[in-house]
Amino acid sequence: MTVVPAQQSGGGGGSSGLYDVLELVLDRGLVIDAFVRVSLVGIEILKIDIRVVVASVDTYLRFAEACNRLDLEAGPRKAPGLPDLVGEMTESGARGKSKGALSGAAETISGAFKQAREEGQGQGQTESRPRPRKSTASRRKEEEE
Amino acid sequence: MSTYVYGITAASHPSLPDGMGGVGDPPRPVRILKEGELAAIVSEAPEGLRPKRKDLLAHQNVLSESGAAGCVLPMRFGSVAPDDGTVTGVLAERADHYRERLRTLDGKVEYNVKAIHNEEAVLHRVMAENPEIRALTEANRQAGGGSYEQRLHLGEMVVAAVKAREAEDATDVQHTLEPAAEAVSVGPESSGWLANISFLVERDEAASFLAAVEQVRTGHPHLELRVNGPLPPYSFVEPGPDKPEGTTLGADHAEE
Repeated sequence: MTVVPAQQSGGGGGSSGLYDVLELVLDRGLVIDAFVRVSLVGIEILKIDIRVVVASVDTYLRFAEACNRLDLEAGPRKAPGLPDLVGEMTESGARGKSKGALSGAAETISGAFKQAREEGQGQGQTESRPRPRKSTASRRKEEEE
Repeated sequence: MSTYVYGITAASHPSLPDGMGGVGDPPRPVRILKEGELAAIVSEAPEGLRPKRKDLLAHQNVLSESGAAGCVLPMRFGSVAPDDGTVTGVLAERADHYRERLRTLDGKVEYNVKAIHNEEAVLHRVMAENPEIRALTEANRQAGGGSYEQRLHLGEMVVAAVKAREAEDATDVQHTLEPAAEAVSVGPESSGWLANISFLVERDEAASFLAAVEQVRTGHPHLELRVNGPLPPYSFVEPGPDKPEGTTLGADHAEE
């Protein structure tokens, strides 16, 4: 893997990168008290559906079903098998070419692990100052412009 | 006329993005405000600026462009000062602090790593590691899917096992990559990833950091890793005298 120069729009700095670094641009970075911030209330930006597993009856049933469908012979013995498709998806997610990758990534993510995020909203807050808006829960997966 | 601020850098920065297109439609030209040894990268703040994709990108692009040639402290998106004078005033007032940050972060970039499980692969893994789950699955299959209670029971066990793996894998990712980084900043847990970790990496060491990422990929085929960088050091600008929780700037890796 080569190092992508910062200014190259295809890599980390481009729109595919933007999708993944939204929370950095919006939630990290310097904040100076003497400046105001534009309102982020009601912000509607592309946001990934949560894929971290949340315990609930629906989740249990869904996972039981997933186990049922799983091809047991394909996996356990030979180390966790990854379908080739996954490699490709990761590829396009990690360093997608350009704008298309943005929506591509969304599709990649909104797959099976889609779970209600409400329960996961504990907000591991790593910043000392309070945020000027509500948690990421209010951000919906919608693209502006 | 209010002033949109992208970042703070040294006045001696070799190639500031003077004239580059910034936020707004049409894009407002980027200007440089100098104050002593420091400079602010600014533009006019458009009326009614909102965090639209185009503007977020513009913010990020201005910072990437200027960060490529020298250290820039990135502002959070949407920072607006009432006027240029306020900006230079802040630079003058907190000059020591910003100079210290610029020195500390000089030559370093941020890499953000996010990890999620590939569901099918992690299920295989969980089954391989847990004979009980495997047996229950087989039993349910024999029974044509199993009763509601049986499915619930199996699902509960699987979810517990997957969650345990999530936590374990998050730790693994961090511990494997940490030695290749100068500092680590763990992002909010709620943003939809089992791991969302930013690493501060020496620009010259980026290759070995990315090699470490590949190592994680190889060792954890059930993980999908998304790596973004080099980025302006968004997650490492704030510490100053008080480090925020979860940030270990200048951690001693010799112990790893």
